[in-house]
Amino acid sequence: MTEIRSEPFVVNIGPQHPSTHGVFRIKATVDGERVIDAEMVMGYLHRSIEKLAEERTYTQNIPFTDRTDYLSSMSNNLGYCLAVEKLAGIEVPPRGNAIRVIMAELQRLASHCMAIGAFANDTGAWQTPVMWTFRERERILDLFEMTSGARLTCNYMRIGGVAFDLPKDFVPACRKVIERFPAFIDELHGLLSENEIFIARTKGIGVITAEQAINASLSGPMLRGSGVAWDIRKADPYCGYEQYDFDIPVGENGDSYDRFIVRLEEMRQSVRIIEQALDGLPGGPFRTEVPLALRPPKGEAYARVEGPRGELGYYVVSDGGPSPFRFHIRPPSFINLSLLKEMTVGGTVADAIVVLGSIDIVVGEIDR
Amino acid sequence: MIWLPFLVSEHWWDLRDLGNLSREILELIERGLGSEVAYIVSPLIGFVASFLLFVLPTQLYLGVYGERRLIGRMQSRLGPNRVGKFGLLQPIADAIKLIQKEAITPRGADRWVMWTAPVVFVAPAVLVWAVIPFGPNMVIADLPTGLVYYLAVAALPVLAAFMAGWSSNNKYSLFGAMRVVAMAISYEVALVLALLGVVLFTQTLSLQEIILWQRDLDIWLVFLQPLAFIIYFISASAELNRTPTDIAEAESEIVAGYLTEYSGMKWGLFYGMDIGYAIAAAAFGSTVFLGGWSFFGLEEWVPPWLILIVKTQLFYFVFIWTRGTLPRLRIDQLMGLAWKYLLPLAAVNLLVVAAERLWWKEAELGDGIVYLFAAINIVLAVVLLVGWARALGYRPERVRTRPRLVKEPLGYVPADSSAGGGQ
Amino acid sequence: MAATRWWSGHELAKLAQELVPGSVERADDVAAYFRAETLVETMRALRDSDDGDFVYLINLCAADYWSRFEVVYHIASLQKNHAAVAKVEVFDRENPVVPSVVPVWYGAWMQECEAYDLFGIRFEGHPKLYRILLWEGFPGWPLRKDFLSLPGGIQPGLNEFSGTARREPPPVRYVE
Repeated sequence: MTEIRSEPFVVNIGPQHPSTHGVFRIKATVDGERVIDAEMVMGYLHRSIEKLAEERTYTQNIPFTDRTDYLSSMSNNLGYCLAVEKLAGIEVPPRGNAIRVIMAELQRLASHCMAIGAFANDTGAWQTPVMWTFRERERILDLFEMTSGARLTCNYMRIGGVAFDLPKDFVPACRKVIERFPAFIDELHGLLSENEIFIARTKGIGVITAEQAINASLSGPMLRGSGVAWDIRKADPYCGYEQYDFDIPVGENGDSYDRFIVRLEEMRQSVRIIEQALDGLPGGPFRTEVPLALRPPKGEAYARVEGPRGELGYYVVSDGGPSPFRFHIRPPSFINLSLLKEMTVGGTVADAIVVLGSIDIVVGEIDR
Repeated sequence: MIWLPFLVSEHWWDLRDLGNLSREILELIERGLGSEVAYIVSPLIGFVASFLLFVLPTQLYLGVYGERRLIGRMQSRLGPNRVGKFGLLQPIADAIKLIQKEAITPRGADRWVMWTAPVVFVAPAVLVWAVIPFGPNMVIADLPTGLVYYLAVAALPVLAAFMAGWSSNNKYSLFGAMRVVAMAISYEVALVLALLGVVLFTQTLSLQEIILWQRDLDIWLVFLQPLAFIIYFISASAELNRTPTDIAEAESEIVAGYLTEYSGMKWGLFYGMDIGYAIAAAAFGSTVFLGGWSFFGLEEWVPPWLILIVKTQLFYFVFIWTRGTLPRLRIDQLMGLAWKYLLPLAAVNLLVVAAERLWWKEAELGDGIVYLFAAINIVLAVVLLVGWARALGYRPERVRTRPRLVKEPLGYVPADSSAGGGQ
Repeated sequence: MAATRWWSGHELAKLAQELVPGSVERADDVAAYFRAETLVETMRALRDSDDGDFVYLINLCAADYWSRFEVVYHIASLQKNHAAVAKVEVFDRENPVVPSVVPVWYGAWMQECEAYDLFGIRFEGHPKLYRILLWEGFPGWPLRKDFLSLPGGIQPGLNEFSGTARREPPPVRYVE
């Protein structure tokens, strides 16, 4: 009679998987159902954007930034434009700033819709939350299409302002979309946050303490979920965020459930900001003219925005020529993955998927 | 247009009792071809009547089409509505697509096991309908141990699922297979104990007799034993791998569990019979708990098989409803649910039922006492369900469902909370 | 709700010099340039100091300036809401080595792997340096300026505007 041995074996979660949010692979060494080791393999979507950007002018790089974090292209564009404006010392008119804020917050809503839907999908709710959140996201994407012409990779911000002015029917349409949102967030709340199975699945999974989070340079809902009240919109305001009144939701335990409710609450706060921005939308020019091949003076600049996934930073070095000498993106998802191993080891495979969902990665940003 | 009298009659054209029709056909065959041929033909008639006339349309139209439409509506989208009017030909289109698809067998897979697994999966789905009574005279095999037969046959697909998972040369499939076996073993115990409580009252294992017992006493077993019903519902849902307990085929984790390497009609058989088993479980649940083909006297006017079908479909609708709404439980939570929660509850249920039964028969109380028992049992079920969950440490009110709102970025956790600071 | 105050290089250099004497190479308005030998000690001191309190590493990246590599550290304090830029220069192009700050900030792990992957800068003391975005065995270090050079110092690309893609002549023409 042969002896039955049990030994740990290696399972590849990804790159082709319904739940890895893109081509991302975790090599999990699994003993039964417990994960004893998890190694990340990434780079499936590496397009070498940083190198390509060195051959194109500053304005030509804006579409590149769309495609890194393709689910929040407005925020990416915004970060890059802020970095170049800091480098070149360009002022943005107030209307441009207000439009930028509206677009960035709408983008945050759309991205969180996707994140929450995908997260609930990972826990197993058969696409019901995904469909509901996508229903709302479609409305926001319609707004984007109205303004910039594209739903996903908007390419709307320009150095010095925004590309086009808001169309005439944007403000009423936007108000209509925003009006429905608090009711929708309450719906999601009832469906998910108070659902015992959802709580049982996500509570206590992937816990990160505040010190670990700060030491690992996490940002965004991951940092706020662990109890650290840090939001770039408040700490380092850009585009006139200091004029708007909003709160920062902060979690308590740093588990997946806290990150989820932080994201839900952030959506509510975004609605507040958009309402205020729409109310106080100034007139005037929406962009300062910059030359086509902008030549900022020699130097470097680092500018950051609070993207939906965390702190998105752009480090741009100029040597006086029309294209950047060094273009580096500080991707929130990449750095948020630092603690993936600590979070997944010890749990089951199902927990690993839930943790990955709660980090909310976009592979375009990780691999650039 | 034949005017059907109110009460079910013995005429062969009275389709409310299909036993009439089959009796006429069998007598014809016996006169014409002999009694041996009639003996062989009778189960065939039963098969045609039950499976092809009742089960397959219900399965296709409620199971495949209805499920997709209903889940679509729950997700605020339309379901399939292109193929045919209102999408009613969708299951046919699915079947045609699956038949013409290439069923890929991976190279390292165990071919024979992989090919026989769907067969082993399908056969019990058909066999199980032999004991479900569709009417007073309409049951293919009125076994005196019908309940045990059902439980035994309904446990066979676990073997098929395990074969499927094992033979595909794929770690995800292995995951799924192991999970299926673990789940089936755990929930089978709770299921049998719950049904044992039912049997204690009805004193019989034959499904037809159970229905007759419910009809005679004019009460459904769901009211008399609500705890058993709930345990049956959860355990059946787990045995069938339906969300929220579908970890064996959890799409977002192990891609399709034991079905990952299956494509084409092999997968189609698994998928279709998955629904078939669910409908069989729904029919069985309707039979045992909801009174089967009886409805407090209505069955003398309305075809009893129609009543059973309606109950089955309502039961199945609840399956669809939970599938569309709830997330999935994790494996250790499911095991905990089965062993720590359902099993003690089923045991306590058995104890209570046995005590009631003893009191009923020893004190020779009349049959009206069942209403008192029903009231006691309902209250007891609620108390036990809630109380046992609390005893196991489930405290839903302690969960904070809204985050704290902070005005200033302070870089560390605001006071009154745990985890330290940002230095 | 004031904005983050970015320290000038001189301020950072002064603080670092106080905490770990001899750690600073030079400083300009933007950044303080640290010496590689005392880097980890300096960073740890900056992180643990009361004045600096640089607990958060915002960004770690590398840049290739033809004659040298620079590893740039953007560090910040959350509670005091200030930030600073530190740099380390490496002049060896064949085998650039910089001490790793992973013991100080865990968030440097993946960013150092990325700098190694794209530039070839080895980080000493890094627990597991591997080619994170590209694969083991990829020939060359893509983000270096002399990767994919063409004769005449021209880089491949659009070259539409005068001045794009024309840089100082490279010291090394072809990638081995």
